Amino acid sequence: MKKLRPAAVIGKTGKWTLLMLLAVFEVFPLIQLLFNSFRPDSEIKAHPLGLPVTWTLENYVDTWEAGGYAQAFLNSIWICLWTILITIVVISLAAYALAKINFKGREFFVAYFLFGMAIPSFAYLIPTYYLFNQMGLSNTHLSLIIVYSASNIPFKLLLLRTFLLGIPRELEESAKVDGCTELTAFLRITLPLAKSIIMTVMLLTILSCWNEFTFANTFVTRDSLRTVSTRFVKFTTEYNNNFARVFTSGVISIAPMVILYLLMQDSFIEGLTSGSVKG
Amino acid sequence: MQATTVPRPAKKHRKWLVYFFVLPAFLLHFIFIALPSLATVFYSFFDWNGIGQATFIGLQNYREMFQDADFYVALQNNLKWIAIFITVPVALGLLMALWVSRLQKTQMFFRTIYFLPYIIAAAMAGRIWCSYLNPYFGINSVLKSIGLTELGKTLWLGDKEIALYSVAFVDLWHFWGFVMVMFLGALQQVEPTLYESAKVEGATKLQEFTNITIPSIMPTLTFIVITIIMWSFLTFDYVWVMTGGGPGNASELISTLVYRNAYSFYRTGYASTICVVQTLLSVLAYAILQVVKKRGWDV
Repeated sequence: MKKLRPAAVIGKTGKWTLLMLLAVFEVFPLIQLLFNSFRPDSEIKAHPLGLPVTWTLENYVDTWEAGGYAQAFLNSIWICLWTILITIVVISLAAYALAKINFKGREFFVAYFLFGMAIPSFAYLIPTYYLFNQMGLSNTHLSLIIVYSASNIPFKLLLLRTFLLGIPRELEESAKVDGCTELTAFLRITLPLAKSIIMTVMLLTILSCWNEFTFANTFVTRDSLRTVSTRFVKFTTEYNNNFARVFTSGVISIAPMVILYLLMQDSFIEGLTSGSVKG
Repeated sequence: MQATTVPRPAKKHRKWLVYFFVLPAFLLHFIFIALPSLATVFYSFFDWNGIGQATFIGLQNYREMFQDADFYVALQNNLKWIAIFITVPVALGLLMALWVSRLQKTQMFFRTIYFLPYIIAAAMAGRIWCSYLNPYFGINSVLKSIGLTELGKTLWLGDKEIALYSVAFVDLWHFWGFVMVMFLGALQQVEPTLYESAKVEGATKLQEFTNITIPSIMPTLTFIVITIIMWSFLTFDYVWVMTGGGPGNASELISTLVYRNAYSFYRTGYASTICVVQTLLSVLAYAILQVVKKRGWDV
């Protein structure tokens, strides 16, 4: 054992105290959320923070029913699935062409998507709303699927392109010699090698579809069509005095993403911090 | 591989097929994102309520905006927001990243936990925190029970002086872990030999930090600060679900002002005008980022 100077001991203790305090600060609200979902409303109001005295599952039955969560989950999952499908198909084709094939206009497209990344959601929020009204798509899932797929394209496309640039072109060339077309070379050779990054793109898409609020709140106002996030906000605004319901619906709404994150956090972190630094 | 030398002129005429690879992504984005964004600029020259006849009024909306007290409140709040977010999470994130990067067994534990709130929807976390910040049944009742009676009377979201900072606090809870993980990634890229040679030359901890760590993570630091500025102009969800910009307009941000004008007052033209300015501000930050990146992160 090394002998530590007193100052070093204090420094070390301080460091660990701060590390732990911040960890508690980050998870305590979530753990309390979970506890509160098992407590009756009156108990939460008497003691907002603390362990349940009477454990109950009543809240879940009540909230799932009253919040229309079965429908909201189906809506969110449906929108997620279509958005993933469209996003993956269009970006992988485009990323492949922009990374691997020399053609007229390639520079233009790369520059376009690089610029497209800068367009913030509020820039097109109002016109898309009226556009979808005109197209007869107000209060439809399709309107959200379109906006989610389209708005995600530039970032995810460039992310994938950067990855594809690292795969040697010779692999595809030799596949083409063996009789593959550009498309089949892409499907059989390149795509399998890009599995991990495509997984990351999928997770990011799921996360953004599940969490998105602004567009979902603007385009879809009929309760039966709402996604989990807007349903949750409306529900907790209506029942803001029923704490058991608020906390329980909180758990129901965030649990899927928290579980997914805990299972695949490396992919999440890689995707969410993937660095426009490298770009 | 000798087959590659065989000329294949037959394939030549199908070169245009490559556009089928690119066009779906391009058209989807162009039609539903780029064109509508241009339409916002177009709308900004009109007086329009979204339904009836639109009247061209030139720059009238812009003139009104620059005389609108609400706009200046929102802009000021956005600047406060930037000031908070380019300091607190950056300083905290960097400090913690320095510590966490030296941990062995517990590094994953802290990374997982600090990053966790970042994947929770802002709108959901915002509503949950509203319950904790409830005037009677949340942390206030805890504060009262431990004797901090006065502090326990604070209207965290209902007091004009405090509301904006309460929401910012919740957003910090959500956001700083992201910054920490960004720094953690950057620190792990730093060449270990740099530290070794510094040790040989007898550099102090502080010298190590200013002469090795900071220069090595400068790209990440610059990236984070500019990105925060860009995102700050677009912050919406937390404020919208927690205070709606209130009380009064105490926590109004540019985005909530846009949203209210567009969907509560049905002043589509005017809301678009504010959108144009908001977009320009954030695009400007993005442009600076691209320039700095091109220059190899020399700031």
